[in-house]
Amino acid sequence: MIFLTKPMIARGARMYILSLLALATSLLLLAACASKPLPPTQEISAAEQSLTDAEQARVAEYALPEMQRAREQLSEARAAVLTEDMVKAKRLAQQASMNIKLAAAKAELAKAEEINTDMTKNIDVLKEEMQRKSGDTQ
Amino acid sequence: MKSLNLNPTKHSLRLRTPVLIAFTSVWILGGCASAPKTPEGAVMARGKLTQLQNDPALASKVSVAIRTADAAVKAAEIPRKDKALSDHLVFIAGREVDVAWAQAKTRQLEDQRAGLTEQRNTERLDSRTREADRAQDAAEQARLDADMARDDSVALRRQIAELNAKETERGLVVTLGDMLFETGKSQLKGNAAANLAKLSSFLKAYPERTLMIEGHTDNVGSDSSNLSLSQRRAESVRTYLLEQGISNSRLSAYGKGENTPVANNDSISGRALNRRVEVIIANPAAAQ
Repeated sequence: MIFLTKPMIARGARMYILSLLALATSLLLLAACASKPLPPTQEISAAEQSLTDAEQARVAEYALPEMQRAREQLSEARAAVLTEDMVKAKRLAQQASMNIKLAAAKAELAKAEEINTDMTKNIDVLKEEMQRKSGDTQ
Repeated sequence: MKSLNLNPTKHSLRLRTPVLIAFTSVWILGGCASAPKTPEGAVMARGKLTQLQNDPALASKVSVAIRTADAAVKAAEIPRKDKALSDHLVFIAGREVDVAWAQAKTRQLEDQRAGLTEQRNTERLDSRTREADRAQDAAEQARLDADMARDDSVALRRQIAELNAKETERGLVVTLGDMLFETGKSQLKGNAAANLAKLSSFLKAYPERTLMIEGHTDNVGSDSSNLSLSQRRAESVRTYLLEQGISNSRLSAYGKGENTPVANNDSISGRALNRRVEVIIANPAAAQ
């Protein structure tokens, strides 16, 4: 600051412009990098794994629409990887996983309902039996 | 724009100020119009999540799922210019809320099972209780029977002692010695009645008991004559008991001959022991 003279200001301005240019270039390069991310391998394999698990647990018997949609989303995710739309691929894989998670939760609920219905039925049978027996003695 | 303002003249400033104001206000308006709002889907997800959170009985069962859903809804609620990202986050949020609801309902059903099991047990118990009530008379009767049997068994022991009977695996064995009979005869002696009277009173007291009468001899004489003698002696006892009013169906008589001695036949006293009638009083269990 002490040495600021007119020629030095001119040189400082040139330096300023140059550094701005360098910054812009690096930003452009960064942007180029960001637009070409890696394929979402982790998300896709996670979705595949939970799909396999859900199929083994026969989740589709209880939550078919969610399971079908998950399969579609998973193949759409793989297709998006091929067209190098990695952001879309990642989101589709995550959505597939989410649909499977919901399908599994719905299946659990349906099974729990079945068990409770059975138990209630058994109690009703016992009640009927008892009424019939006490009817016999009257 | 800045450069324009850098060397203003009074004239140009007057002309340009309204233009600038107009431009700015249009720009602000435009900003307002294009400013992203909270997506509708996120609002819906929030509503469903709040509904779950407002049900403490349900919410307490799935606090982890609710926390996950809450984070997803919060992320979806942030207004974003990126429509695809916003839609994605709304989708995830909606699903997380649905998962939390499904899990909560599942837990609720699972928790109801304890109650259902208890109810079933109560029903069973009621059923058993009624059955037991119905069986109570029978049970009472059985208890009385058992009491009587116990009293009986006390008396029975006394009687057995009087009969000088031995408890064996075949039943109670009363050995009637040869003093009942004259040698070689099957007629009962006069004093035999005293011994046999005890036996007949015992049989009258315990009408469910049956008797097996076995005649035995010593080894004097032929096998066949001893067999027939033992048979006749057994029959004599049976005849006596029949005369005392004991039912024929409760009595059986066999001659065993000389083949089952209880003492050595070499001595007079041994032979005397072997000449005998054994009365076997069958155990009630064995008789049934």
